[in-house]
Amino acid sequence: MMILTNAFAALSDDTRFAVVERLMKEGELPAGKLLEGVELSAPAMSRHLKVLRKAGLINQRVAGTQRLYSVRPEAMKAIVDWTMDHRMFWEASLDRLEAHLALEKEPEE
Amino acid sequence: MTDIRIEREFSVSAERLFAAVTQRAEAVLWWGPEGFKVTNDQLNMTTTGPWFVHIISPEGKNYKVSGHVTHVDAPRSIGFTWAWHDTETDKRGEESHVTMSVIETMTGARLIIEHRDLGDNETGTGHERGWASTLASLAKFLNQNDLSKEKI
Repeated sequence: MMILTNAFAALSDDTRFAVVERLMKEGELPAGKLLEGVELSAPAMSRHLKVLRKAGLINQRVAGTQRLYSVRPEAMKAIVDWTMDHRMFWEASLDRLEAHLALEKEPEE
Repeated sequence: MTDIRIEREFSVSAERLFAAVTQRAEAVLWWGPEGFKVTNDQLNMTTTGPWFVHIISPEGKNYKVSGHVTHVDAPRSIGFTWAWHDTETDKRGEESHVTMSVIETMTGARLIIEHRDLGDNETGTGHERGWASTLASLAKFLNQNDLSKEKI
């Protein structure tokens, strides 16, 4: 629960949301690449990346002089599990309701 | 943050469907996914007032949800608030709203469940499309990454 609330807080910022979306689509990227096409200074991007890292949403890896960023699959799975919870709950419950109502329609022995 | 709308067709009358949805004796039989059991409940949805349900999963994990039935319009619709309780601290989580509507059809009746999170009212629906596309990306992402091999 703790991780999820941190994750949502971190994602409530448009820039950080966009960074995570981009990392999901394009895979691991260096910080420099993440700056392309966005009007943001390098220090500002670095601060956003730090917030995402602290929230457990992304990983940082150092390769030579580059810092590479990628999405943490476990964090994404936690978010999916959380958002899917209610839909699955109701769909699965309705399966049982359907079975229950179908039962009484069968002819009596 | 998300709104859920689920529709299901049944080949029974609207009255019959409404009864199966709102009356305790039947509700305990279908609340929760297959294999789950209701262990304790106040699932009478025929009158307004507090409700709760304790559900145990096949693995023995206990879940608790509670809320308040806010409207009953037999045999058309009911509305109630909803919040999961934390499995360890029993602290009640963020509240959301559920509406169940029964509509008569040519072949029987249709049940529409709308589960709406309160967060939506506070933040507006501007993020909805963003979330939908993000979830699509998430699904794709998760398919590409076999999580069973990941260390958590």
